[in-house]
Amino acid sequence: MFTRKTWAVLAAALIGSTALSGVASADTATMWVRASGTNAAAHLVDLWNATHPDKIELTTIPDNQMVTKLATGVQAREVPDLVSFDLIYMPDFMKAGFLVDLTADLKADPNYASVAQAYKDIATYEGKIYGAGFTPDVSILVWNKDLFKKAGLDPEKPPRTIGEIHEDAKKVRALGGDVYGFYFSGACPGCNIFTSSPMMVAAGSKILPANGNDDALTGEGVKDVLEAFKAMWNEGLIPKNAQADNGANFTSEFMTGKIGVQGTGGFLLSELKKNAPNLDFGVTFLPGAKEGQASSFVGGDVVAIPAGSKHLDLAKKFIAWELTDEAQLEGLAKNNILPSRPALADNKYFAADPRVVTTAKALGIGYVPWVYHFADMVNSDSSPWINMFQRAIFDGDVDGAIAEARQKMKEIAGE
Amino acid sequence: MARSRSRGQAQGWLFLAPALLFVALFVIAPLGQLAATSMTDRSLLGGGRFIGFANYVKIWHDSGFWRALLFTVKYTLVLTPILMGLGFALALLVSDNTPLKRLTRTIVFLPVVIGLSSSSLLWFWLFDERVGLFNRLLVDLHVIREPMVWFVSADLAFWAVVIAITWKVVGFGMVLFVSGIQAIHSDILEAALVDGAGYWARVRLIILPLCRRVLLLTTLVSAIGSMLAFDQFYIMTSGGPRGQTFTAVYSIYQSSFVSFRLGYGAALSIVLMLIILVLSAVQIALTARGAEP
Repeated sequence: MFTRKTWAVLAAALIGSTALSGVASADTATMWVRASGTNAAAHLVDLWNATHPDKIELTTIPDNQMVTKLATGVQAREVPDLVSFDLIYMPDFMKAGFLVDLTADLKADPNYASVAQAYKDIATYEGKIYGAGFTPDVSILVWNKDLFKKAGLDPEKPPRTIGEIHEDAKKVRALGGDVYGFYFSGACPGCNIFTSSPMMVAAGSKILPANGNDDALTGEGVKDVLEAFKAMWNEGLIPKNAQADNGANFTSEFMTGKIGVQGTGGFLLSELKKNAPNLDFGVTFLPGAKEGQASSFVGGDVVAIPAGSKHLDLAKKFIAWELTDEAQLEGLAKNNILPSRPALADNKYFAADPRVVTTAKALGIGYVPWVYHFADMVNSDSSPWINMFQRAIFDGDVDGAIAEARQKMKEIAGE
Repeated sequence: MARSRSRGQAQGWLFLAPALLFVALFVIAPLGQLAATSMTDRSLLGGGRFIGFANYVKIWHDSGFWRALLFTVKYTLVLTPILMGLGFALALLVSDNTPLKRLTRTIVFLPVVIGLSSSSLLWFWLFDERVGLFNRLLVDLHVIREPMVWFVSADLAFWAVVIAITWKVVGFGMVLFVSGIQAIHSDILEAALVDGAGYWARVRLIILPLCRRVLLLTTLVSAIGSMLAFDQFYIMTSGGPRGQTFTAVYSIYQSSFVSFRLGYGAALSIVLMLIILVLSAVQIALTARGAEP
């Protein structure tokens, strides 16, 4: 009844339809990323899309709208399948039940074991894991080697304590004119938690309270750093505009080549290479009060899956993939972005520039505070954190500033 | 007779229906929702339960909000007369329709069409100590000896914002005043001229009184806009130094979207709305009384 030709046609149709159904089954997951993480996230997503049949569609959300959009999205059950956001919001989001529990998947993933500890800590809530490091950033100390040379300092020897920062800054400022020894953004809460708090932590202090009964701003490190900054301010080692800088000049000041030492983020490296290629600078860890003490603030974005994701399996696959050597090296390191696994710091892309390796290694010694209300305690424009800096350094009342901030932080943590 | 009246009434309601529907959907409903949210401890992250007037009681003791409100009132009281006076003066200068004056009007009006955020950012950098052209200009004119950091003190930051906003908004008032001046019949001004009224007498006794409605409108728009100031302070001062340039809306923004306290932010919004409503009513009443013969 059926000729051989008919069977052949039927077989071809069957194969064709199977192939077509294969094409049709290729899926697309949506992902939101905050604006400041878009560049790094796009490299990873582009690599994924080039190597996988399932695609990720990236949408950039302005930084200050991410919380609102995600919160309203979760409540309206209209969420993306993946979300990349500032890691400091992780405790609030986990507590609010916004994210999918990834404990089983990540614990079974061998790559997860080597993710920077700070990312593991910040993404864990009541023993469960809700996210992974995605596009990291970390704070470091940079110094201008040309200015060090001119000031009679050893350009290869960075300051190793807060006291040495002060001493080196004096010598650089002695060059005169508009050359200054040190810079920090005096009205920028985020910049200072990123670059100044690690010096306090390195010197043994704890910064933020996890709840109303927890201690805040403990140890001498807080006072040591504020006293050193105050002295440098009073001695005119810091430019005047630092007092009002809300972060707008956070990166541009060092780029002018007229600042001796500054705490900054790893992102500055690629900006300096691009915009100030002749600036000879070094990178080291942010120091504490004594030699050998060092720390950093681990920042950047975590990736997580919002509750209500419609492509859960694909989203999980993407998170597992972004932790692989391929994604970490070919997606991030190749594009001068730090991998979230510090063990991959020594790679062929970073080998040519030891400064990048140092930056990547800073991830391994970094901390990130696990607290609710981080924005209230730190990031808000009227936060106790930034008020403490301004009162201590510019008004000169270090003890009063610490006491006031300590009390307000505890009040906020207790809410 | 009665049937035709009720038919007329029905027709009237029918004509009103689209406008009523619009107001109900886009004004009354959101306002109701805002009032309802203000009675809860709702967080931006979800949840929330009914807490009655607890948020309003808390506002009463919230010194931060009252300080921000006081600062906003000060900003309004300083800025509004500047905008009115300068807008009216400019309008007097350019109200004739000569090509040069038309061009001047266009130039002065141009900043009005720039977004407030963009213009704030522009002025933020113009005031910069190192690269700011405004500082350079003041140094060259020997007004100051060396470039100064404008946002380092609350007073300087305040005046920096006032300068930036005056540049941005003054053209709007000017255009309204020009339309008011041009609407005055030339016979009236000519009659005054014949009666021997000088320029300032014409301005004081004829132009200004006949522009009263425009004056009310521009004052209301300017005062309400100033009471709702946010973008310019968010971009130029970030509320600093030490929270001394927080406005009322900035305070609401901080509560709602930085501290995640939506319920409290809603209550602050209601309080601010009522304050603006009362101030506007007083302003309208005063102007109306002044207009009575």
